[in-house]
Amino acid sequence: MSMPKLELVNLTKQYDNADVNAVDGINLTIDAGQTLALLGSSGCGKSTTLNMIVGLERPTSGDIRIDGVSVVDVPAGRRNVGLVFQDYAVFTSMTVRENLAFGLEVRKTPKAEIQRAVEKVAELLGMSDKLRVSARELGGSELQRVAIGRTLVTRPSILLLDEPLSNLETAARLAMRQELRRLQRDIGLTIIYVTHDQVEAISLADRIAVMNGGHILQTAETHEMCERPSHVFVAGFLGSPPMNLLRGTLEPAGNGHLFHAGPLRFALPHTAGGAEPLAADGARNMVLGIRPEDMALCPADQGLFAGAVALVEPRGHESVVTVDVGDAYIKVVTPMRNAPGEDETVGLAVRAESLVFFDGETGQRSAHLHS
Amino acid sequence: MQRKPLTLVQTILMAMALMVVLFPIFWIVMTSIKPPTDWNASPAIWVPSKPTFVNFKTLFDPDAIREYGVGGVSQSATKAVLGSVLASVVSTCISVIIGLFSAIGISRYANGSKATPLIILSGRMFPPAAIAVPFVIMFSALNLIDSYSGLIAIYVAVTLPFSTWMLKSFVDDLPREVEEAAMLDGRSRIMAHLTVTIPLIKGGLFATSMFVFILNWSEFMFALVLSYSNISTIPVQLAKYVTATAGTLYGVQAALAVLAMLPLVIVGYFIQSHLARGMTFGAIKQ
Amino acid sequence: MNASNIAVLQREKARRRPGAGIGKAMTTPGQIVSLVVLVLPLLVALYMSFTDWTPTRGSLFQASFVGFDNYSDLLIYDTRFLQAVLRTLLISVICLALEFSFGLGLAVLFMREFRGKSLLFSAFLTPMMILPVVVGYIFWMLFQSNGPINQMLEFVFGAKAAVEWFRSAPFAVTAVIITEVWHWTPLFFLILLSGLNSIPENPVRAAVILGASPGQIFWRVVLPMLKPVIIVAFVIRSMEIIKLFDEVFMLTRGGPGSSTETISLYIYKLAFNDFQLAYGAAAAFLVLLGSLVLVHLMLAPVRDQLLDGGR
Repeated sequence: MSMPKLELVNLTKQYDNADVNAVDGINLTIDAGQTLALLGSSGCGKSTTLNMIVGLERPTSGDIRIDGVSVVDVPAGRRNVGLVFQDYAVFTSMTVRENLAFGLEVRKTPKAEIQRAVEKVAELLGMSDKLRVSARELGGSELQRVAIGRTLVTRPSILLLDEPLSNLETAARLAMRQELRRLQRDIGLTIIYVTHDQVEAISLADRIAVMNGGHILQTAETHEMCERPSHVFVAGFLGSPPMNLLRGTLEPAGNGHLFHAGPLRFALPHTAGGAEPLAADGARNMVLGIRPEDMALCPADQGLFAGAVALVEPRGHESVVTVDVGDAYIKVVTPMRNAPGEDETVGLAVRAESLVFFDGETGQRSAHLHS
Repeated sequence: MQRKPLTLVQTILMAMALMVVLFPIFWIVMTSIKPPTDWNASPAIWVPSKPTFVNFKTLFDPDAIREYGVGGVSQSATKAVLGSVLASVVSTCISVIIGLFSAIGISRYANGSKATPLIILSGRMFPPAAIAVPFVIMFSALNLIDSYSGLIAIYVAVTLPFSTWMLKSFVDDLPREVEEAAMLDGRSRIMAHLTVTIPLIKGGLFATSMFVFILNWSEFMFALVLSYSNISTIPVQLAKYVTATAGTLYGVQAALAVLAMLPLVIVGYFIQSHLARGMTFGAIKQ
Repeated sequence: MNASNIAVLQREKARRRPGAGIGKAMTTPGQIVSLVVLVLPLLVALYMSFTDWTPTRGSLFQASFVGFDNYSDLLIYDTRFLQAVLRTLLISVICLALEFSFGLGLAVLFMREFRGKSLLFSAFLTPMMILPVVVGYIFWMLFQSNGPINQMLEFVFGAKAAVEWFRSAPFAVTAVIITEVWHWTPLFFLILLSGLNSIPENPVRAAVILGASPGQIFWRVVLPMLKPVIIVAFVIRSMEIIKLFDEVFMLTRGGPGSSTETISLYIYKLAFNDFQLAYGAAAAFLVLLGSLVLVHLMLAPVRDQLLDGGR
């Protein structure tokens, strides 16, 4: 097995006056040529992690290894890691060429070599005709390309991008997504995207690591994470709309289980799929997860849930219907032609196999019942 | 990114810089409390062994000054101090009030041309010695030479562009909606300005007033040219003490200098956050 | 276009500009004062500069018109004037260079974190708050033959190191420069520190990640971003230092001889010692013209950024 490109080993960052660690013992491995999205909302620790990988901040404890070698004591300029800032931070007093050449010029690289490298990267990014333009005159996506090019010229072994799509308008966003994928294919860089936008993460990266409260909750390939979130936080974060989550109690009852959350109660059969039923006395706090796509509308008396329609949001050829089931709102996605009117009473039918349970305390996907 | 602390070399450099900055101030304060016997010591004494405040009293005592009077200086500083206070305070008030209304007028109603910044800049570049000449001509025709009215008039004229411009920058910072809201409430336009605009730029108004006060208090040449026997200001009096006695009145001169300095240093401290704006005519805000 | 149409148009115009009357009323006092007490004397001085008037020859209006004679005399024959100009320029350039360097060094130090920062900040600003005459007076004392500066020189370099500061031209000029630099370095410090604090952090971080050393970051990333601020500082100081009068008056009165005579001192002498009022006025307008050209040139790179409402 070859050496992973980047390893974060028990990485922790604690700020002086804080009770809680900004980053709390995270572990992450990325192989060469992979793309990973570090996903989480603000304050989750992803920016701190980014800064530590790049070298702008020093970890309180733990290790960062690139190609197997610890880089914690290596200064930021020598780690061979590139960073593209969210606001691009291009050098406005310089031309495009001077920006691109900067990283090599400060290393006293011979002029001819700088020339070659700059022209190659400029061509790669489609900026060959703008080399003499002052950075002040560039637009948003051009600035971003200069920022990317500026790091590419120094041939980093790992490239980090901080919220790469958030400052772009929709059309530019699409274009940049394709551009980033193409770059990655052509050059084979190891890329880490740091973002709070799950759509961005899903569209850009092969793998996703979801962070919250300084911890990494799940690291998985993108499609697997969407289909099989292993943590309740992840489940509630991904997807649009995200998985419905109901907090309640699960207890054994007769030949199956009974789940009740507030006024809702329903019985669930055992599964055949290798999952263990609860022990006779083991009532547990659980969070029930149901994807909006896994439910269908039906007459009110035939579904697992029933309630009044609170809101219908059209979304192209489908609609998101929010149903008030008493103690909670459930969102279901249904084809537009089936959309009910507001205040109608509807039922929601669910396939038992698509139910997901998360442990009420740890948040982990439960081994019981379905997996 | 957290800021790094000073290295040892940097700390030493800063300490050296601090000593250079404070030494002259230290010197003049020490000189002002030297007893007369220490004044002409050679080499000059750094710290008097018997410090005294008598110099400050002598300043205001015509008989005591006469005792030292060499080369015809027998004036106490009383008139100069009173004169400075009168001229500075009155001209500051007038300049700031007129400037305030002009500032609101220019900022909110776009009166005043695009050339105004250029005119103000040009005004600052004209050597005062020359502009003093036509003033002298005009004032002698109007009998305003050697009168506080004349001096105040010049001080107002010279500081008006500055106070207008500074205050305008503060009014510019205030969104127009504030006055419009007051007017929606039923107030008339002028009442809106009086009850809303002006109170909201209190800080800027204070800073501008202090700036103008500093300029007027420090002003030397116009006062020198316009004063004969009736009026005097502190800078003029200090110059008289120095040129007339060429050194023998060190302690008293220094006492007057310290008196002159003190208000400005204190005021400067209070308007510190607006200093950059004032010194650069609004180009740079801290 | 008849009268009623015009009246209608005027009413429309007034309605479209709300409060226009109030606005005019508020700016009028300022305009009157400026006109009477600023513009009028300037025009009088301008007129005067084209005559040969001295007060001994009667009133101004009796003086004869001499066209540009005063101006050409100043530029061609008056060596003392040209020397004053060159001298003032030389002193200005040296002072500005020193004030900028020290101010920048101090500002860079203040970008670090240390205790007592705000107290030290106030302390370093103090010199520029002091009246110019007082500054001149203080340094006049310090530079006395038996004064502390000579004492310190002797202490460090031995008995022969003491200097007669006011008896020889180069030393007198040096004393003037030292005085000015002490007085006004805080202004550069203040402005440059403001500038340094306002530059965005991310480009600096980007430069760090690209491998630049602190020196390279400073010269290639930070200073270019400071350019507008630096130019403003230089322009402001230039405008003031050309008028240098008070400090030199107290230090040397222009001496020894005329070796520290600045432009303002020369004009003062012309006007109030020699009573060459018309000639002095002409000199002043020449100086104004020169300053305008200088400032225009200095401001050219950042003109658009600055005149946008002073922001």
